[in-house]
Amino acid sequence: MSAPLIAVSGLAMRYPTGRVALTDTSLALAPGELVVILGANGCGKSTMLRCIAGMLKPTGGSVQVAGRRISSLAGRELAEARMALGMVFQNAHLVRRRSVVANVISGTLGRHRGLAITLGRLPESERPFAMTCLNQVGLTAFAEQRAGTLSGGQAQRVSVARALAQRPLALLADEPVASLDPDAAQELMGLLRRLAHDDGLGVLCVLHQPELARRFADRILGMKDGRIQFDTKPAEVKETEVAGLYVKTTETLAA
Amino acid sequence: MNGIAIKTAPGHGAPGAGSRGDGRPRRRSALAFVMIFLGIALFIQAAIVVQARPQDLVTGAAGIADILHRSWPPDFAGLPDALWPALQTIDMGIFGTVVALVFALPLALLAARNTTPARPVYYATRVLIALARVVPDLVWALIFVTAVGLGPFPGALAIVVHSLGMMGRLFSEVIEDMDMGPVEALTMTGASRLAVFSHAVVPSVLPSLLGITLYRLDENIRSSLILGFVGAGGIGFQLLTAMNLFQYRTVSMLLIITFIIVMGAERISAWLRARIA
Repeated sequence: MSAPLIAVSGLAMRYPTGRVALTDTSLALAPGELVVILGANGCGKSTMLRCIAGMLKPTGGSVQVAGRRISSLAGRELAEARMALGMVFQNAHLVRRRSVVANVISGTLGRHRGLAITLGRLPESERPFAMTCLNQVGLTAFAEQRAGTLSGGQAQRVSVARALAQRPLALLADEPVASLDPDAAQELMGLLRRLAHDDGLGVLCVLHQPELARRFADRILGMKDGRIQFDTKPAEVKETEVAGLYVKTTETLAA
Repeated sequence: MNGIAIKTAPGHGAPGAGSRGDGRPRRRSALAFVMIFLGIALFIQAAIVVQARPQDLVTGAAGIADILHRSWPPDFAGLPDALWPALQTIDMGIFGTVVALVFALPLALLAARNTTPARPVYYATRVLIALARVVPDLVWALIFVTAVGLGPFPGALAIVVHSLGMMGRLFSEVIEDMDMGPVEALTMTGASRLAVFSHAVVPSVLPSLLGITLYRLDENIRSSLILGFVGAGGIGFQLLTAMNLFQYRTVSMLLIITFIIVMGAERISAWLRARIA
């Protein structure tokens, strides 16, 4: 196995309110691998994704992204380290009034720090590259259309293209299919798997659908009460283990 | 409207509501009665304070007829002299709106809860915007006339300050209602804070802001007419002068020009707003 893209070790997160969201969590993500995290609401999976992306500061443990300790960076350095991570959210979060290709180009802004571009000009030199990103998600025909006119599935694929425009090493997806219909969900998961297998990206994806996880993941992590319960290949995951993730425990998370 | 709705409520509630629903409608109808009584009392005191005497209108009818008679026909001989002030009036509105726009945009970013860099900045800009807004433009004009002298410039300054308050408030509300998703997404691409503003915030809110600005332009041209009355130039000043000299035929001509300016500004602004929506 190649060196991990993302290495999380002993991650702990305790919110100022006293709620413990993560306890001693470790995981590794290799290039070319699609890992799905399953778990009930409030099990800590979104908190973990946010810690990896540097949006939250963990209270313990460390996160390494491509060898850099992202969990102890801030400001400009954090912004640069983050560029290795493309983020896909539950909603596409596109600028609806801009064209599809303009939205994709805006994914490259981290690399351009000129004054005109900072003040709202798009880096036009990135247009051909943005088109190849759009091509990867199969939406070149929609390039000049306004982003607001797309369907939910198309918009989500454009947001993947925007993440690709950033030239990331890994993609983090937080319930990317939550607002999509079943067909669009299948299509998006297929796209994420292709990006992992064909282009060598590491993909870490939080899901609520065990069926999708079984079909598309290379590895499934089950999370419950802020801990990883199992970490196995889809074929080896037992139905009872998955069901167990969604059983309510009476003990509270508060320490 | 409201009173009627509240009054009919017990009628509906009483038969089926039983013991639990019994007390509430009755208390509500008592409240409705008190509210209606207070409303009437409020109006009566208003009528007394404004010294409303409808009979004065009847006895004054002859005076009104006299003024109307003396205003007719409008005297268009003075039209060429009125064109320059008319242009002044329109330009006070345009200048005031453009300058206010330039300052309102950054101010609104500081005064919106979701884009402000720090709490103290947020409160400071809010207070500034409120101050500019609550002081009427007429008062601002009086202040600026004292400061920079008679003429259209103090009027334009008054419009700048007052509409800075109005636009700053409306702009910051638009920004606060904005979808923050794209902001989060672009932050994650590693873009700088300013780049996130200009690429995520500005394109999302620009059409609404332009709409507000065009509406404000229409309002500003109207208020620049009135500002002339306190010495801030333009057609309002001409109107005041003609009135003081009892030149009612000139007054009616000026009112026709005013009508054309206000209607024109309103139509053009509405047409442009419809186009960007």
